[in-house]
Amino acid sequence: MTVELDLADIQGGILRAYGRQGFPKARYFFLTIRDGAKARALVETLRPKITTAARWKNPDRGEPLLRTRNPRVKDVVRAEGVPDYPGEVQLLKPKVAINIAFTFYGLAALEVPTRTLRAMPDEFIDGMEQRAAILGDDPFLDRRDAIWRNSRGESRVHVMVSMNAEMLPDGTPVPELEEETQKLRDLCAQSEGGVILLAGNGPDNAEYQEMSAILREDEGALWPTNKEHFDLSDGFGDPVFEGQLSGEAERLRVVGGGKILPDQSWAPLATGEFLLGHPDEAQEIPGAAMPIEFSRNGTFMAYRKLHENVGSFDSYIRRQGELYARMFSVPGHEAEETVKAKMVGRWSDGVPLMAAPTYQDWQAFNAQLAEAHAEQDKPKLAKIALEFTDFRYRGDPAGATCPVTSHLRRANPRDMLDPHFASPDPKSWDGSALVNRRRILRRGLPYGRYDRAAPGDRGEHGIIFLAICSSLFRQFEFVQQQWMQYGLDFNAGSDTCPVIGNHPPEHDAKLVIATEPANGKRPFICNDVPQLVEPRGGDYFFIPSMTALRMIGMGIIDPT
Amino acid sequence: MPDLDGGHYFFTAVVPICNAGIVEHEGMKSSPVHMVREALETLPTALQSPVTERVGIQSPFARSLRTHFARFVVLDQPYFNGRNHEDALAAAITGVDLLSAEPDDALSCPYLLVMIDFDPVRFDGRGEPRSYFEELWTLMPDELTAVFRYCYGFPAVKDARSFADFILPCQVETTMPFNDYWVGAPPLASMSTAALVAIPAGGLFIALVAAACGVWSWQEGLLAGLLLAVVGLAIDYLWIMARGRKPFPANPDATLRHVLKGLYLQQAFTRFAAQQQGRGPEERGAAFRTFLERCQPANLDGPTQQPGVIRSLFPKVDA
Repeated sequence: MTVELDLADIQGGILRAYGRQGFPKARYFFLTIRDGAKARALVETLRPKITTAARWKNPDRGEPLLRTRNPRVKDVVRAEGVPDYPGEVQLLKPKVAINIAFTFYGLAALEVPTRTLRAMPDEFIDGMEQRAAILGDDPFLDRRDAIWRNSRGESRVHVMVSMNAEMLPDGTPVPELEEETQKLRDLCAQSEGGVILLAGNGPDNAEYQEMSAILREDEGALWPTNKEHFDLSDGFGDPVFEGQLSGEAERLRVVGGGKILPDQSWAPLATGEFLLGHPDEAQEIPGAAMPIEFSRNGTFMAYRKLHENVGSFDSYIRRQGELYARMFSVPGHEAEETVKAKMVGRWSDGVPLMAAPTYQDWQAFNAQLAEAHAEQDKPKLAKIALEFTDFRYRGDPAGATCPVTSHLRRANPRDMLDPHFASPDPKSWDGSALVNRRRILRRGLPYGRYDRAAPGDRGEHGIIFLAICSSLFRQFEFVQQQWMQYGLDFNAGSDTCPVIGNHPPEHDAKLVIATEPANGKRPFICNDVPQLVEPRGGDYFFIPSMTALRMIGMGIIDPT
Repeated sequence: MPDLDGGHYFFTAVVPICNAGIVEHEGMKSSPVHMVREALETLPTALQSPVTERVGIQSPFARSLRTHFARFVVLDQPYFNGRNHEDALAAAITGVDLLSAEPDDALSCPYLLVMIDFDPVRFDGRGEPRSYFEELWTLMPDELTAVFRYCYGFPAVKDARSFADFILPCQVETTMPFNDYWVGAPPLASMSTAALVAIPAGGLFIALVAAACGVWSWQEGLLAGLLLAVVGLAIDYLWIMARGRKPFPANPDATLRHVLKGLYLQQAFTRFAAQQQGRGPEERGAAFRTFLERCQPANLDGPTQQPGVIRSLFPKVDA
């Protein structure tokens, strides 16, 4: 049965990433509540401005498949003249998308009834700081931004208001972003101390967390890219779930994005994995805070500010590249790119190792892509677009192509955890059953900048990582704890993710780049991996549906 | 004999705690089982998490080179699951009085559940678990006293022998041991399905042949055949059960000392391999000889990992 979601009831940014919808600029605000009634009044004033998942028309959208360097699967559908998004068009795309979310203590401060609050999940009540030992954040708590270090008592973060904005050709956000910012400041001021806009983001204690896609210059204008500060392209793999896409778009995007069935075909994940109040992969509507209309179409989000040690990354890749080049007699650039790709699972421009296992394959892949672009060959571009996500790991059990402990393979092991992964009998295969309950929607944008001529670890640059799922414990925390900060599920002992894992010097963190056991080529061990990514704070938020937001704002939640 | 399985001894005991009256410790007056819990809760666990590594106080069980796992649980009362479920219609027809209470079981005293997986001295388990508990007493008498002191019979414990005398009568059979050290399938011979079928079928066949030869009438032959087939099935059953009672084969090199040595070598060799990258064969060969001399792979008493820790720490030296 086709799931038809109530798109105008679901907040925007969940079904689709704003960064990929033409909002490369963002400001995230954090508020604390000192007076419940005044805070509810503020919620009521903001409520009509909240962007939902309802479909809109974007008159400025570029030509499908040709508008981006890497062709995208959603453009394959558009190129065929079929809508890639469900629902009817009744809206124009806004200049600034505004959304709102609450911490547990925020909901308590808004005087949500105890009976509703007590059914909230433990990890959401705890908040991210209390979960530090689970997430591996404990060594970095002192380095958090002031807003997160001080998030307690009178300064506890209660509300997050996010504004994702379009960009002008000069790389600055549209002026509407500053207008909306001023309106929020005014609203807080008008609350007469009922709601305080908290400062404390970044080293200058800014009153919001600024974010921006990394820009590139072309034809005298600046354009957003999908790069992050390690100069890696990000954001290809994202779960596909029922109701998220139009029929034809789902048919294409489910390949590589959905779940793998025992017969090895792809299917969309259950809606309940990402939105509360819908059946999930366990074929049940997961328990949620009552009344159900308070939870339904809402979801949870982990907000994490992740600093990137670009200096350490660059020098480490250079060192390992030199050794790799010497051992395998390849040019330095090839060696460095190979080491990077093996850490991540994709080449630096996002081409997956599973589609282009060697440096030469990668060059050939890109030559084909360039040719298709030059010829504006849409069918060929459509075929290439699918290769960015369409792969399984059954052909690569040892990780000789894509290391089993690379970031990509850890984050979504696809068919690798099939208990009968190695069985020669296709009838015994189980697909991605053990992975389906561990998927997260990844959202977010980079923040800050650094001097490309002299990359260093100090400074303000990294990524705001947002993980959206209906159970932070079962999905986000599990992936972070068991797959990023541990390696046992991949038979890799205590090895952590080479990119975002913890690498304390006494643990000699390493990545083993395996080779086919039969081919006689030696494996390569990247050892003494330095700390590349460090958390700088964050928290767990509940993103209510528009129905729940109205109930919160009007103070009419009836849990009986 | 599932107590001994896969070369390991899986010891389970339920030890009754005398919870009568009040005991006093450091000015605190409490029930005896309260102090048993406190003794267990303050017993240090192994240094296998960042928190315990920081605390740095090692589990007393790490003094033993035979203990794989040790768990203690206080059993206060069995959990009452409520009335037995029944079909409402059937209950109405049979006249079940829903207002009369169903019995719920209660223990007359709390019990200490003790579960320890250890290496037997001999693979056939002879002399166990006595030898293990006698050795354990010599390693941690104070801790064992703190845990067991309020158990029935413990006042008679004076030494290793009397400690074993105290705990052994409380042993219950371990019916589901867990083996974690087999890498790949163990060499287990499957029972022949053909033989299992042949035994009852053979009985039937013989009787029918006897009938065909005129020894019995067909009716007698069929009856005797069915009887013999049932006897054959009973033989099959006994055969299967006898096979089931055999311990799971012992995994070679799976004693705690082997495991610790294996963990040590794995970590040492990973470092060695990383250090050798990019070196020529001669240099590597010389380094490997040094590695072998230093690590002594076959010597369990040589350099090895300490029990009760999560990793071996290696000094940063050139191999």
